[in-house]
Amino acid sequence: MNIVSAYSSEESVDTAVQDLQEQFKHLDAKMVIYFASSVHAPEIISQRMQEAFPAAAVFGCSTAGEIAMGRMLKNSVTAMAFNAQAISEVEVAVVENVQDESGIEQAFASFEKRFGAAMLDLNPRRYVGIVLVDGLSGAEEKLIEKIGDLTDVTFIGGSAGDDLKFVSTHVYANGKSYSNAAILALLKPGTEFSFIKTQSFNILPGKLVVTKANEASREVVEFDNKPAAAAYAEALGIPVEDAVGRFTHNPVGLVIEGEPFVRSPQQIKGSSMLFYCSVVEGMELSVLESTNIIDDTRTALDEAKAKLGTISGLVNFNCILRTLELEQKQTTEEYGGLFADIQTAGFSTYGEQYIGHINQTATMLVFK
Amino acid sequence: MAGKIKMMIDSIIEQRAKNNTMLQGVIKTKLMLKGIDPKKYAPHSNDDPAIISKLEALVKDFK
Repeated sequence: MNIVSAYSSEESVDTAVQDLQEQFKHLDAKMVIYFASSVHAPEIISQRMQEAFPAAAVFGCSTAGEIAMGRMLKNSVTAMAFNAQAISEVEVAVVENVQDESGIEQAFASFEKRFGAAMLDLNPRRYVGIVLVDGLSGAEEKLIEKIGDLTDVTFIGGSAGDDLKFVSTHVYANGKSYSNAAILALLKPGTEFSFIKTQSFNILPGKLVVTKANEASREVVEFDNKPAAAAYAEALGIPVEDAVGRFTHNPVGLVIEGEPFVRSPQQIKGSSMLFYCSVVEGMELSVLESTNIIDDTRTALDEAKAKLGTISGLVNFNCILRTLELEQKQTTEEYGGLFADIQTAGFSTYGEQYIGHINQTATMLVFK
Repeated sequence: MAGKIKMMIDSIIEQRAKNNTMLQGVIKTKLMLKGIDPKKYAPHSNDDPAIISKLEALVKDFK
């Protein structure tokens, strides 16, 4: 095997890292990606993971739950190691002040130096990027949009979590822990790869056009020139007082070629609505209705298997809102089981990235 | 004036995607996520300064 996944639920950082090291001992790791519960001290886990795999590019982030081969976890570390056959080249860069776009340009300059080509000239079928970003920075939209402006290479990833404490989230690289930062990794896989973007929603006929918004604070003031909360409730045919209770079941989405890019409402503030990602004035959003995460994920995995023939490894960035829904329906075991025969590492995120920043979605990087 | 937005969008897609249909779709998606729906603009659409300003910023990076 060229890609191996592992997890450890050991309480001490040192023991957990040793556990992972033992499970990866037969692989000459060129790259290790890991996702660690916030129970593990950020500075220590990042340092120990780099020390455990000194010859590898090692990076990761904190989580709101972990995903391993065949199971969903809490208070654990999940990881995936790749040898040189799986990843022929990799460069990792840290964007320390994630609001500052110049940091992305500096990261890209380091990629261009390493790979000897301009980012705009890299073939998106041969290169892929991973982005891990502070999940409380509120900066994901600008980050992924700027990345998309500067390259055709697809960057996929997730926003770091902190087990629903919403205090501080961390990204890890070079043996260090960073907040208000992003890790960008540019990979040249030695094998074919593909992407899964799956969300479990039907698109309802109701439409809401954003007529007034404060993009920076992810606030929609008005839909269709009406107070946002009232317009949302009207679209669902419910009283405004009941609107909050419908947020998870009925988010909204920008529908592109029949595919929703989900925007999840967070709360009602006065007559406005706050979202978990930015909503832009002029955007026409469709009201969505949740379907079955298990069935839809199974279908998405089957399609990826059919496309690639086999799956040798999968990195899963799964929205925490999906995880909460799975927990509420007591189907986390069933969800984990979907990945029972696939080398898998992933985590429950505070946001997902694939072309843009999205919510209530799982984005997955899949290797043949 | 009219039609500048459609012209700029077409130019961005043409220059960046270079007839690659997969990339054309990705670039249209990126534009839509920025609040610019290419399908909404025709040769006679009004020149909205806010949209033109967004597109001008994009042209710098999209080269």
